[in-house]
Amino acid sequence: MSATALPARFALAAGTTRLRAQGSGWSVARDADGAWDGWLAAAQGGDARAYDRLLRDCLPLLRAIARRRIADHAEAEDAVQDTLLTLHRMLATYDPSRPARPWIAAIAERRCIDRLRRRGRTSGRENPIDDHAETLAAPAGVTGEDRVASRQLREAVADLPESQRTALRLAKLEDLPLAEASARSGLSVGALKVATHRALKTLRRKLGVEDDR
Amino acid sequence: MKTEDMIGRLAAELRPVRRLAPPLRRAVAWIGFAALVIAACVMLFGPRHDLMERLSRPQEAAQLAFALATGLLAAIAAFQLSVPDRSARWALLPLPAAAGWIGSLGWGCLAELARQGSRALQLDTSWGCFGFIVLTGVPLSLSLMWMLRHAGPIRPVPVAVLGGLAGAAIAAGGLSLFHHLDAAAMVLAWHGGATLLVVLGFLGLGRIWGDRAGARFTAA
Repeated sequence: MSATALPARFALAAGTTRLRAQGSGWSVARDADGAWDGWLAAAQGGDARAYDRLLRDCLPLLRAIARRRIADHAEAEDAVQDTLLTLHRMLATYDPSRPARPWIAAIAERRCIDRLRRRGRTSGRENPIDDHAETLAAPAGVTGEDRVASRQLREAVADLPESQRTALRLAKLEDLPLAEASARSGLSVGALKVATHRALKTLRRKLGVEDDR
Repeated sequence: MKTEDMIGRLAAELRPVRRLAPPLRRAVAWIGFAALVIAACVMLFGPRHDLMERLSRPQEAAQLAFALATGLLAAIAAFQLSVPDRSARWALLPLPAAAGWIGSLGWGCLAELARQGSRALQLDTSWGCFGFIVLTGVPLSLSLMWMLRHAGPIRPVPVAVLGGLAGAAIAAGGLSLFHHLDAAAMVLAWHGGATLLVVLGFLGLGRIWGDRAGARFTAA
């Protein structure tokens, strides 16, 4: 049994190593020659070119770390930017006698954890809306029931005579003073009042709302 | 802003920085400063008259050694943790000494209990001890946190807690040199209690520090 189990275990171990290398992208191979250490040390001395190369070169590693921890792509990219800001701020803490990769990776891990924790604090007050395209199209806070009611209202308004519709829009929806509504619609103030009153009465009747008065 | 554009801007803003000295060397510098502060206090108040006699008792010598070791190791751990690529396990460094400190005080309580009965556990107030540990420990800890101010976006809470422990434990050890309480139960309650209070205070401070530092590094 051990004769067959042993090679299988070695194969599994080799596979794991390969997977890890793929997971963090080609940056692993690049870092292996120690280029990052030199660039980071040069950046501490103010070498902007080395710094630019380093940050661009380690971007795949930062993205791999962020995406492993954060499922949402936009959020993960924000975590990458947090990491870049932190790297910039903490440049003085790098010790050139040590490899750069663990220093960079530790900062990236920390920023991702920090972002997840902040998100965790607010997520209790949020609902996922990924699968509800209709909700996204509607204004915030509108429920299905509200949408049915508002469609009925729109249809009822559309059925009103033109003058009543105009009066309702200017006097009630745009909330203009009667004089201005009169100037814009070409109707007299009295006619506007009558048209608005009739429009509301018609709508109440159509939508089944009892008139209190 | 696109990440690639941000890299361009960061590179354009780059200025040469002065590398921080290795954490152990910086820890030794802070410990030297703390030793000067404690020495000044001992000179100001005068060492207790029976200091040498007290230190010849193994249990009291152990208490002092453990208190100072807790402070020194907590300071070293805080400096190590303030550097991103150091292991988080550095936080465990002062724990054996802290356990030894609490253990030696607890053992002292038990020994006095066996010798004097329940009278050994009577607690009086000792606001002087409490005040010294808080009023000396907190500024010492704050000076350590000032030296480690770069750690805010990385490990604010462990660094602050270890900083609080370092300052309070060194203050408690120093206090024993000129105003040692006779009953072990009193030392446990007032030295231990004041140290715990300072550590809890720095735990809260570390959380606020982390929130503020984190918000400054939030890109979007």
